[in-house]
Amino acid sequence: MATHGRILSVLKKGPARRNLFGPVDREQLQVEYQNALQKDLEEASQRWGFDFILDKPLESSDFQWEGISGTKVPLLYRSHVLYRGDAKGQRVAEATVNPTQGRAETSQSEKENVPHTPERCLLNLENLEKTPEKGENAGVKRKQTNLTDFYQAKRRVVWMPRKSGE
Amino acid sequence: MELLCLEMDTIIRARPDPNLLCDDRVLQSLLTIEERFLPQYSYFKVVQKDIQPFMRRMVATWMLEVCEEQKCEEEVFPLAMNYLDRFLAVVPTKKCNLQLLGAVCMFLASKLKETRPLTAEKLCIYTDNSIRPQELLEWELVVLGKLKWNLAAVTPNDFIEHIVRRLPLPEDKLALIRKHVQTFIALCATDFRFAMYPPSMIATGSVGAAICGLQLDSADQSQWGDSLTDLLAKITNTEVDVLKECQEQIERVLVSSLREGRQQQQQQQQTQRGPSGKGLDELDQSSTPTDVRDVNL
Repeated sequence: MATHGRILSVLKKGPARRNLFGPVDREQLQVEYQNALQKDLEEASQRWGFDFILDKPLESSDFQWEGISGTKVPLLYRSHVLYRGDAKGQRVAEATVNPTQGRAETSQSEKENVPHTPERCLLNLENLEKTPEKGENAGVKRKQTNLTDFYQAKRRVVWMPRKSGE
Repeated sequence: MELLCLEMDTIIRARPDPNLLCDDRVLQSLLTIEERFLPQYSYFKVVQKDIQPFMRRMVATWMLEVCEEQKCEEEVFPLAMNYLDRFLAVVPTKKCNLQLLGAVCMFLASKLKETRPLTAEKLCIYTDNSIRPQELLEWELVVLGKLKWNLAAVTPNDFIEHIVRRLPLPEDKLALIRKHVQTFIALCATDFRFAMYPPSMIATGSVGAAICGLQLDSADQSQWGDSLTDLLAKITNTEVDVLKECQEQIERVLVSSLREGRQQQQQQQQTQRGPSGKGLDELDQSSTPTDVRDVNL
């Protein structure tokens, strides 16, 4: 970057910290921001033929929209992800200490492995009446970890204060 | 007792991957997709009413200074300018919001390219707190929407290694050449005349200008076979005439900004010294380089 230094010293007008074009009209900026979001939303509505505010398809839609249960989409796309992830985290933590799993590792190191075994999934299901995972996993024996499992497992670590004994 | 912190503040980098750099398909793919990320219009004529080309230069210079001061990765600045141009090509923007836009573009480019990205707070301080972090985050969303979340744009920097590798250059000069090329690329990004050029052309022209500037092309003519320009043109499938014109344009921009800088310096010196310092200024002027080859960066 020394060469930049030379070019820069040439272009430089003063300290890098500076206001270039005078004061910003905050109220106007906020109005423009809201308008821009509104416009984005309208464009998206047109594009997809869907009213994202009323949460229903437009009559003029080129697409055929079909409602599915929120539990069938990956956690990432659900609302209140934070809250649900947290609740799930607690349950998973409980499940982890269950001796029937026969795992010696600490739950911390185990976090990526949590959904590996079908037993564990079922075990989770028993505890997780209202968590999103239920619909996805019911009756399905999964052999492989998928990305959403990893996310869920991780969320627990991020959002839940852990006790030292866990 | 003194406490010694041994934790290094260095960024760990991956080594250059020969699988990526030696495979011709990578370069061909870059060349194929690069046009997708160009701004759609020369927007000062069509879209913008309030802002002028010199304002773009002001905000670009400021962005380059911030990137420099924060020791950002080289490609952050050109990438941020790509976002800025693409946004301005579709959204009429007021002068007073241009710096906010510049900050948002740096924020995004830094997040995409760096392991330790610039923070919103820091960027707001660089605007002398004329914008707030909250506003930066709000407009980040607007800019992302307008860019259609296509952030992984091809920049001239993506081509440097691919071009340099294919030239018979002395190993010991490579680091210096890269640095000069990066500087020319940054310089091009500050100048609107280059905004509509494909990144590969800017990269190729910058490599040409760097090699000529360092006079590496004349050292041993025989090793080049073709002339340097022909060789460069072949690498990135550019037309020789177009490439020549681009390289000359880069050299002109370099010379004019160096000259401009000199004049500024002289003005400063003159105001400091008063009219009696005139004799010295004339001496200074005579040493102004007129040939880009004489410029020692």
